[in-house]
Amino acid sequence: MTMLRLTWLLLAKDVRIAARSREVLGFMLLFALLCVVVFAFGFLREGHAAQDQVPGVLWVTLLFTGTVGLLRLFAPEDEAGNLDLVARTRSGTAPLFWSKALLQLLFSGIVTLFLVPIVAVFFDTSLDGLPWIALSLALGLVGQAALGTLAAALLAQVRLREALLPLVLYPLLAPLVLGGVKVTALALTRAPYAAFSGWIELMLAFDLVVVVLSPWLFARVTE
Amino acid sequence: MTETPSKLPLRLLTGLGLGTLLCIAALGWVFFVAPADENLGIVQKIFYFHVGSAFGMLLCLCAASASALIDLMAPNETIDAAGQACTEVGMIFALGVLTSGPLWARKSWGTWWTWEPRLTLTLLVLLIAIAVLVLRSMAAEAQTGRRIGNALAVLAAPVAYLIHIAVQKWGGTHPQVIQGGGIQSSDMRIAFWGSVVALLTLGFSLVALRLRGILLEQHMVRLRLDLSALELQRARNGE
Repeated sequence: MTMLRLTWLLLAKDVRIAARSREVLGFMLLFALLCVVVFAFGFLREGHAAQDQVPGVLWVTLLFTGTVGLLRLFAPEDEAGNLDLVARTRSGTAPLFWSKALLQLLFSGIVTLFLVPIVAVFFDTSLDGLPWIALSLALGLVGQAALGTLAAALLAQVRLREALLPLVLYPLLAPLVLGGVKVTALALTRAPYAAFSGWIELMLAFDLVVVVLSPWLFARVTE
Repeated sequence: MTETPSKLPLRLLTGLGLGTLLCIAALGWVFFVAPADENLGIVQKIFYFHVGSAFGMLLCLCAASASALIDLMAPNETIDAAGQACTEVGMIFALGVLTSGPLWARKSWGTWWTWEPRLTLTLLVLLIAIAVLVLRSMAAEAQTGRRIGNALAVLAAPVAYLIHIAVQKWGGTHPQVIQGGGIQSSDMRIAFWGSVVALLTLGFSLVALRLRGILLEQHMVRLRLDLSALELQRARNGE
């Protein structure tokens, strides 16, 4: 009970900070829009969208935008210099980890709700198989939030973190991105669930691994 | 006073000479005794070093993850240093795999690079190993670098397994030489296992050499601290 309550308090604190400064979420939304525009420069031919590029555009934009959020995830504690104090709760470091992961999930979820219609409009795609795409996006965002929170915590103690976060994050997130792109591509062509069930299971396994391991490792690096 | 580090890694250094000699012998056997492949010709000889390097990479990086886990649970400087040495040597082996692989691919598949499962896996694993080493070196304090590098190395092991499954599903084929019966004669078999043993011996010796280097670096840091403590004491006594 204490742990849930502490997690909720820390999350509410971060949401309040974000709401007052209006920095992170607004910038993530803007950055997502910019990514889609830049991808359109690269992938549109004579104004026509090649629909097979939609999954890649969607997932790479989410990967990049998630990085923007993760870089600011520990900014309040970093600026106050009190990460080790905030981490030291009665329930250990778990409340801090879960509040940060949920904050990242909240922000990237909002970005996704904004991003999917934008991509659908700009790349002229009818969103067939949307429930399956939504499921893969949910699995992808959970994995990215859990692994990303650990990565952000590792890099909170390091120089040049802006340059290093992608190096730590992107190779490890490969299964989620590969799976997400495959599921989205197959769902868009109205393939039956059996065609991509293996990918969904793989993404689920990835999420389980990082949801269990990340908080455990987080406790060991923020002592 | 600090103790001098153990001499054990230094004794293992004799293995370095043995590894080098074995590698030269394996090279000789591969090029002068083992016959050229019936279909692929001379380019097939890359395979002897390619596979040995891949074994070396796998062993080194698994050992690195295991020692990272041990060091996180029960901190031990020697185990941590061994893990770091393994990561570095594993990275060298990965570079060897990624150099020899495309050379083979150009001749036998007609392209330098394909997004084929094992190539993709090796590339991603190399990137993760680089990330671990960079993370270590970029931390403000050595102890912080040790903790965060080890945390990443522990996470990397199960994730690398999932990457392995993912890239398998993602597509492509890799020559299945050992399982597929690609070894055509006993001379080839000797060349193959000889190269594997030679490369693994070399890799083991390199790990020992690097371990010795890291332990000496740590010893020097401790000696410097002792020295400055002594100087401080002397300055106080003088006043």
